[in-house]
Amino acid sequence: MVESGQKPRLLRASFVGAGLTCSLLAFSAAWAQTPAPAEGQPPAAEAPAAADATPAATDAPAAADAGAAAATAAEGQTHGQRAAAEAAAALAAGEDDEPVILEAPAPNTRRVYINDSAHFGSLTQQFVIDTDAGRVIAITDSGFLPNPVLSDDGSVYAQVSTTYSRISRGEREDYVEVFDPVTFNPVADITLPVEAHRFLVGTYPWMAAVTPGNSTLLYYQFSPAPAVGVVDLEGKAFSRMLEVPDCYHIFPTAPDNFFMHCRDGSLARVQFDAASDAEPQITHSAVFHPEDEYLVNHPAYSQKTGRLAWPTYEGKIYQFDLSSGEPQALNTIDGLTAEERADNWRPGGWQLVAYHRPSNQIYMLVDQRAEWTHKTPSRHVVVINAETGERIARHELGHDIDSVAVSQDDDPLLYGLSTGARTLYIYDAESGEELRSVNQLGHGPTVISLSDMN
Amino acid sequence: MTFATKTRTLLTALALTALGTQMALADKISILTEAPAPAAEAPAEAVIVNIAKMKYEPAEVTIKPGQTVTWINTEAMPHNVAFKAGVVDDAKMDGAMMKKEQSYSITFNEAGSYDYHCTPHPFMKAKVIVE
Repeated sequence: MVESGQKPRLLRASFVGAGLTCSLLAFSAAWAQTPAPAEGQPPAAEAPAAADATPAATDAPAAADAGAAAATAAEGQTHGQRAAAEAAAALAAGEDDEPVILEAPAPNTRRVYINDSAHFGSLTQQFVIDTDAGRVIAITDSGFLPNPVLSDDGSVYAQVSTTYSRISRGEREDYVEVFDPVTFNPVADITLPVEAHRFLVGTYPWMAAVTPGNSTLLYYQFSPAPAVGVVDLEGKAFSRMLEVPDCYHIFPTAPDNFFMHCRDGSLARVQFDAASDAEPQITHSAVFHPEDEYLVNHPAYSQKTGRLAWPTYEGKIYQFDLSSGEPQALNTIDGLTAEERADNWRPGGWQLVAYHRPSNQIYMLVDQRAEWTHKTPSRHVVVINAETGERIARHELGHDIDSVAVSQDDDPLLYGLSTGARTLYIYDAESGEELRSVNQLGHGPTVISLSDMN
Repeated sequence: MTFATKTRTLLTALALTALGTQMALADKISILTEAPAPAAEAPAEAVIVNIAKMKYEPAEVTIKPGQTVTWINTEAMPHNVAFKAGVVDDAKMDGAMMKKEQSYSITFNEAGSYDYHCTPHPFMKAKVIVE
């Protein structure tokens, strides 16, 4: 459990005082981006990060002038430039520097968590980003291939993680760590027993989930046999493993009910009693896809509505409504036209599909690619009416995008994460216009997580 | 206690620990060879379980104590025979991976029901009943 005095995982920064100008600039160079690319100019993230530190901001004698300029911050000024100007103004006004530990703003629909699994690195990070501002507001540390888990109300931010006593060897310890989403102090640290160790795999968001009501966290175990671990978040304790059939992923619909996708092509419904050791009740749906149709590892699931959208390698999208506790198959739609498929258009990337609940629209990363290149990034996203399958738009994203997500408000932002560029690009979801970006997100960020707080 | 005595005591303890582990395993099963053998060298008297199309065939065999089961992998996909913790020993036991036309043999010394699986393919499950 967490002990008092433990090093909190949050940004420590002081923005006031000339003595901190250097650290301030380093900070701004690392995280701040221009709010929007200037007309005819490449996006800020394409330029070297150091370009954010302008000569005016680094020139101490000019600090007072910069402070004056801050009052009328020009459009296009970086966060770093604004912060430098504010610091200069404070210095000029004779204000003392009072370093403090900052708190992040309250979670909202525009907050995203970027998981950097660091190309299977032993130590990893999650970047917490205010996408309205295009700023990193916190970072949490984690171990090997952690699974970030969020609740839809934004109150639970947890990781199922793994560390070793000697970095990448020695005694293995799996645990669930829950963070306060404002201070980012860990509020729970729950060790998972050896027999309950989790599945170490490239991060699939739905390999772990919190149940509605936030009472329970569920995570998947692959070996030695398929199982789902139950963690009591309220009691801050590991509960037990549920033996499940040969099925994968976890889509909770109630505190005691979740669905999985099985090797035989069916969905399994798993009902369990969190308070007892009773065997879970397991039922299967009909097989819904043939054996030669391959469903991607990153389906989109709206826990709020139980809507599951699951693309195949060729862009067909199977859909279910799981909200009633029974898997209700919805219309299967084609994310690509016959002409596009004939022209080698296929979905591809990591987290390649997103679902926007308020508008009932699906966003899917696509590009022209050879078969079996389904994990390479895409440069386009198609927007589809989930009800009718009608194509609403195809946006060219301007970058190699591996993962996509969309904020769950009525005027959504579209997020495109580039693992190669280590940058989150933030677009207007309706127009596809790039608004801003945040770069230097670790070594190989792959997963975008957000809460449906709308 | 002299240094020599201490050393001897430690060595004895280590030896007993090693022996204990070996015995615990040997009590229930004996593994003919740690490495897979050519399929053609399977013991003549062994009960054969073939591995094909991601399955053990037959999925259940019944033998008597002291009898040997030999698994033969007939496909290019590597497979093994693995036991969860508590089945043949306190610890789990993962047999060596068999490539195509390789075999792996285990003699079952004690009556019981032994569930096993393939380590990288946990959906491949089967059982040896010893009675």
